[in-house]
Amino acid sequence: MTTVPVPSPALTVGRQGNYAGAVSRLAAFAADVGASWGLYTLGVALLNAAIKLVIGHSYTLTNHQLVAFIVLTVWEFLYFTYQWAVSGKTLGMAILGLQVVTAQGGPISGRQAVFRTIGLGITLFLTLGIGFLGIVFQRDRRALNDFIAGTAVVYDWDARAARLRWIARKEGTPAGASPLKEHGV
Amino acid sequence: MSPNPIGSRVEQLAQSLAEHIVPLIVDAIDIDAILDKVDVEKIIERVDVEKIVERVDVQQIIDRVDVQQIIERVDINAIVDKIDIDALVEQTELGSIIARSTTGILTEVLDVIRAQGVGLDDFILRWGNRLIGRGKKVADWPQGPPLLVAPKAIAPS
Repeated sequence: MTTVPVPSPALTVGRQGNYAGAVSRLAAFAADVGASWGLYTLGVALLNAAIKLVIGHSYTLTNHQLVAFIVLTVWEFLYFTYQWAVSGKTLGMAILGLQVVTAQGGPISGRQAVFRTIGLGITLFLTLGIGFLGIVFQRDRRALNDFIAGTAVVYDWDARAARLRWIARKEGTPAGASPLKEHGV
Repeated sequence: MSPNPIGSRVEQLAQSLAEHIVPLIVDAIDIDAILDKVDVEKIIERVDVEKIVERVDVQQIIDRVDVQQIIERVDINAIVDKIDIDALVEQTELGSIIARSTTGILTEVLDVIRAQGVGLDDFILRWGNRLIGRGKKVADWPQGPPLLVAPKAIAPS
């Protein structure tokens, strides 16, 4: 009887519903910052064009830094809060396959989305990012904004699928033998 | 011709008789009537096609065919001219095929990016906690929220 090498469970078990780690979350956040900033810039450019069309001369927000700051803050608040409230994920999180859920694993409420966005601001600017260390060192991989809103971030895609394909090519899992089915989330 | 003159004459007589009689007999025979009486189905049933096929040397037939000559005689341009490419493209729904394959590629790319992220997540978690001396404890941490992940079975001590 021949024995076929089977990849370790850590590499093959489905990750859907598991707590997401620091790198995925950071990449998603970076994508969100890029997307929100891009949309803000586009919006401001369109607004300027509209104003110029109506009153005849241009009005740029960059000349009024306080207004620009307030508009940007409101925009960022709406960007994150709206998306979290509606689907539990932002654009960046959707790309990276992440989702915000309650600490128990259920869908989050609008109120939690608001608190999470406020918490994000606090974690970023008041703790200078130290509040994010909980993602690495805390049991539930929750950052400060997660504690404030009572939320957690999980993988919402079947991380196993992509990894299995690679592993199958390298090590050759036996056909039909899947140690993963019992882990369906 | 036979060397015997009598034999030779008889042969000539028989020849001339045959020449006159055979056409008369053939004309008198109604071949259609005979064929009507033949049960072709029965004959076909009796024929062992397998045996015939076995006796045919297909390889030899193939060897005899000059494919090059056949190709040379085929006017491919005339065939291509007859094909309505526009109708063919309309029928194949090229757009949906392209869309499907593009989606497939994007999904693959996304899977790769995500999988890299997951691998790095594990790496950072493992080494971050190992650095502060909690490497082994991490293995006992919950995998996810209770509603999404079944609690780990406690191994008997």
